[in-house]
Amino acid sequence: MIGIFFRNLFRDLVRQPLRTALTLSGVVWGTFSVVLLLAFGASVSKAQIKRFHGMGQGIVLVFPSRTTLPWQGFLKGKAVRVTPETVEAMPEKVPSIELISPEFVGSRLIRYGRNEYRNTVRGVNPGFELMRNTIAAKGRFIDPEDMAARKRVCFIGDVLATDLFGTEEPVGEAVFIDGVPFLVVGVMRTKLQSSNYNGQRDERCAFIPWTTYSSLYGAKYVSNIIFRPRDLGRSKAVMEDVKGHLAKLVGFSPADPDALGVWDTLDFEKQFTTFFLAFTVFLGVIGSFTLLVGGIGVASIMRIVVEERTREIGVKLAVGARRRTILWQFFSESLVIMLFGGLVGFGLSAGVLQAAKAFPAGGFTDFVGVPVLNPMVIVSTVLILLAIGVVAGMIPARTAASTDPIEALRK
Amino acid sequence: MIELQGITKVYRTGSQSLEALRGVSLNIGKGEFVSIMGPSGSGKSTLMNIIGCLDTPTAGEYVLDSSKVAGLTFDQLAAVRNRKIGFVFQNFNLLPYATAWENIELPMLFDGKNGRRRRERVTELLNAVGLLDWRDHRPTELSGGQQQRIALARALANDPPILLADEPTGNLDSKSGEEIMAILTELWREGRTIVMVTHNDHIAAHSERTIRLFDGQILP
Repeated sequence: MIGIFFRNLFRDLVRQPLRTALTLSGVVWGTFSVVLLLAFGASVSKAQIKRFHGMGQGIVLVFPSRTTLPWQGFLKGKAVRVTPETVEAMPEKVPSIELISPEFVGSRLIRYGRNEYRNTVRGVNPGFELMRNTIAAKGRFIDPEDMAARKRVCFIGDVLATDLFGTEEPVGEAVFIDGVPFLVVGVMRTKLQSSNYNGQRDERCAFIPWTTYSSLYGAKYVSNIIFRPRDLGRSKAVMEDVKGHLAKLVGFSPADPDALGVWDTLDFEKQFTTFFLAFTVFLGVIGSFTLLVGGIGVASIMRIVVEERTREIGVKLAVGARRRTILWQFFSESLVIMLFGGLVGFGLSAGVLQAAKAFPAGGFTDFVGVPVLNPMVIVSTVLILLAIGVVAGMIPARTAASTDPIEALRK
Repeated sequence: MIELQGITKVYRTGSQSLEALRGVSLNIGKGEFVSIMGPSGSGKSTLMNIIGCLDTPTAGEYVLDSSKVAGLTFDQLAAVRNRKIGFVFQNFNLLPYATAWENIELPMLFDGKNGRRRRERVTELLNAVGLLDWRDHRPTELSGGQQQRIALARALANDPPILLADEPTGNLDSKSGEEIMAILTELWREGRTIVMVTHNDHIAAHSERTIRLFDGQILP
């Protein structure tokens, strides 16, 4: 029975090979567009978020500024000054902070042998590594022992390492920062970084313990604070706590909106993610319309097929076919065209995506990523294909099933 | 077997209405061979469609094989046509893309009979109509007489007690026509009820009883 069903189905489809092929092509192209657009949208989102994570993951940046409200006898416009010790003591006051680091930033001459550059030097603590994704490719990041002993050690960005050392091995060598020798303890792993603040990108920076920084250069007040809340969803509330405590310790009105500049990357990332989701959905909708046109092609061709085969339908009804049997016959025919077209479209797009992998990394692919057939793309496409297929198949099949056998046999 | 009581059929097209049958009462017993004659537009086809459960009467009672037909759904009527009635048409109405074998098999597929039973029955029927060698041929490769024999075999597939033949020899030469009539007569002798529409007195002479329709009514 099933065998007969498929044999008849196949016979009906190959009876008009050109027509079937043309109908198929619409579906193939539609599926191809849906897959490629969705995959492209997903990869662009992923690449952009990855680039954004280059600056750090789950962090809030706080920039001490000037007061804009008078407070306890001080006029507005007073500089907000935060010492690194205050920053280090914050987790005791605000337990919902997971990691926090003060940061000093300065531009200094860095020399190795005959190579000398003026680059950004950042004085930070060991927590900085995880917060800002400055992961060591060679050696290590600054550790607590370096902090306690105010060691003259530095961790350098990968581009700075190449600029200074060329092909030489930097770890274990000494560089001179403003004439003072520092031991290189590690080199940062290459990363993409789309956002930044205060100075150069991490790839060109040298990182040293803030204790060393302040004792060597006499810096008392931090350029900025960087922290990560334990619960990433509560960054706003944690920031409020931090602000409240700083207001008390440093002396500014807790109501002052601009005493501290705040860059909540978590909040930013939420908007960012929403934007890219909308972007991907938009692309998917465009693709779906292409597929819808393919579906309309199937539906209209099937209407013609039903028209041509009215007599056949009449005969079948006369000898005892139920309406459901006729419905299913035509519905399955449309659905097979849709699914087969979908399969070919999937195959083609998989081929194109495979070819896209051959693009060299860097440059172009840093921005759009490498589109791949991920489960989201596959599931969405199959659902869109099925939805359109069912509608496109149902309309002509219902027409077929509602044929009046007497009329049909008279033709 | 077939009991019609005051059957009326009215076709409505827009504001006009056409009375195709006007109170037809008719009894056809089991094993009878009845022919229905009448000029075009006398309501022969409508009557055949109602007897064949392809159409339902506007008014009147129809009892087929001691069960009422009125009020059955389309799919229930389909089941009645499938098991109790075999149709033979003037223009054969075979599926053009299907082989002789597949055409005969069709009613059994709709009845859900299994593969072995279908094979046995189709072979038996092809043998009976003498076309076993033509089993894989399509209708277009067969002569009119052969096509009508395949159509007859299809009508008999589910072994229905009633055969409805609408001008079965209308598209055939006289020799093939006689062959078909010989088969129909044989089937009647075996105990099947046969109702046949014809224009031809010579063909009608094969039947036991002739009913004449005129203007939607049976002439006495």
